[in-house]
Amino acid sequence: MSVAASKTAPAPATVNDTATGARLLVSSLERMGVEVVFGYPGGAIMPIYDALTGTGLKHILVRHEQGAAFAADAYARASGKVGVCMATSGPGATNLITGIANAMMDSVPMVCITGNVPQGVMGTDAFQEIDILGVTLPIVKHSILVRDAPVLVDLPKDVQFATATAPFGFNIPNEASDVDHDAVAEAERFIRASERPLIYIGGGVKIGRATEAVRAFAEATGIPTVATLNALGTVPTDAPGYLGMLGMHGTRAANEAVQASDLLIVLGARFDDRATGKLAEFAPHARVVHFDVDASEIGKLRETHVAVAGELKPGVEALIARMAAAPLAIDPWVIRCATAAVHHVARYDAPGEGVYAPALLKQLSEAAGDRFVAACDVGQHQMWAAQHCRFSKPEAHITSGGLGAMGFGLPAGLGAKLADPSATVVTIAGDGGFMMNIQELATLKRYGVALKIVLLDNSSLGLVRQWQELFFEENYSEVDLSDNPDFVKVAEAFGIEAFRIDRRDQVQNGIARLLAADGPCLAHVVINPKENVWPLVPPGKSNAEMMEGA
Amino acid sequence: MSMSDTIHVQIDRADGSLQRLIGLVERRGFHIDGMSMADIDGASRRIALTVRGRDAARSIDNLGCQIDRLFGVSRIGAQSFQSEAA
Repeated sequence: MSVAASKTAPAPATVNDTATGARLLVSSLERMGVEVVFGYPGGAIMPIYDALTGTGLKHILVRHEQGAAFAADAYARASGKVGVCMATSGPGATNLITGIANAMMDSVPMVCITGNVPQGVMGTDAFQEIDILGVTLPIVKHSILVRDAPVLVDLPKDVQFATATAPFGFNIPNEASDVDHDAVAEAERFIRASERPLIYIGGGVKIGRATEAVRAFAEATGIPTVATLNALGTVPTDAPGYLGMLGMHGTRAANEAVQASDLLIVLGARFDDRATGKLAEFAPHARVVHFDVDASEIGKLRETHVAVAGELKPGVEALIARMAAAPLAIDPWVIRCATAAVHHVARYDAPGEGVYAPALLKQLSEAAGDRFVAACDVGQHQMWAAQHCRFSKPEAHITSGGLGAMGFGLPAGLGAKLADPSATVVTIAGDGGFMMNIQELATLKRYGVALKIVLLDNSSLGLVRQWQELFFEENYSEVDLSDNPDFVKVAEAFGIEAFRIDRRDQVQNGIARLLAADGPCLAHVVINPKENVWPLVPPGKSNAEMMEGA
Repeated sequence: MSMSDTIHVQIDRADGSLQRLIGLVERRGFHIDGMSMADIDGASRRIALTVRGRDAARSIDNLGCQIDRLFGVSRIGAQSFQSEAA
């Protein structure tokens, strides 16, 4: 193998051009339509960084590799394209891991490129050598098709230098699965036999680009809908028949409907424990019709009566065509669900003059309108955003659902805003998670990314504090963050506009100022540390046992 | 104690493929009681895994679906492939 690298060698334009591994990699990314790469250089990936210069790829230099992985993940969620991040070997690669796991848990398509030490010294504990392939095996994509997930490409440094002939002419398999029409017919039979059908929407609908089909199915049949955390916005928040999120912090209307339903039509959902509560008591009267692209999800946790494995969009479209033959006679059920939704509607008349975060988030999403995209961190604020914001589409709600990774919010906002600069992207974070990737404020400043940040500061790890209050006899162990820095000064030190909201009467003007800012802007919102997320299904309990605040 | 089952898998010989297969079986809640492996043609391997669910909730059929979608798995079944013509 030749180890000659040339700074001036052009990117290979056609099949059979010879170039270095580094240049072939960069050219491959360009040919696949990649526009933005998030990364951080280091020794073992230097040939690739050398090859990046002068190409059409826009590299965003983050300030920590975890920020690169989270930003690439959110870029993918917001754009529907593949997110790309890169890092050097050893610590660079291991710093990506939480981001890779995050993308795996929520089925986000992401390519992570790591440099590694030259092959000749692999296995010798060389400087910055880590078996990143081995470390990441459980959290990367297992299959070519089926479902989206992260992929890791580890390139030893000698391979980056070596020259080879470009094996271009990618042959991407595109085996659209046939619809199982017998199963769809069986699904129709179950739906027509049901008196209390309910559509349970998961994040797979968005990933399968089946949002319009699912909306059309719900509208055509009038069947009420509930959504998981990762499916919020699939049915617009204000759509008729939509009962809200189910599960641990779901709405009472949604959870009551699930418990009363005699047929769950599960679309791209996986019976996650945060959605089902105690599985044995979840939807005790319901039979299950399950549509999922991943056959291994069907029957994994809950017995399925009708399994429709395959692409969601054609499957649901086939079901719509069948359902058009005659309307359903489920009016009493629809009225019962709608009545419950009205009866249990959230209230925003909390006493006092302090800022009530749920009300602020509702106002924020309404003020931002259909261009609103929330990039949430993890904690109480994440649940309040899920419960109280209005989402016009599933891409408008970017959240770390399966992994629940604190620190996601700020880099996710960065990635989402770069994916869709015309959107009003707002990072919603708590003081705990914000501190985990606060260094990315520098990235916002460097690239002038006009991300808005709502930092809901309760001077504590609020969700842990809430559980300690409710389930650990108020033993508040290691959740106090009252010595937080002055976040306005911190943001200003990074060169970012920032202001503080302490009182309820400042909220409306504060939201207006935040949304009107030309560049990045942070609103530091001080909230009551004792505020809890309600309702709540205690861990391990049935969704029928929802707790409400005093 | 739950019953054991044998799963026959044909998987490409690639970096990490064994680790990925065994890791998946254990992570999805199964003990591996026995394993035998034979090279086919230098490019892939035939593996027989005797597995036992950690508890009664573990479904061997679901494990089969999980293995089937692993990268590099070309065949999976409850019967050995050895009696078949190559």
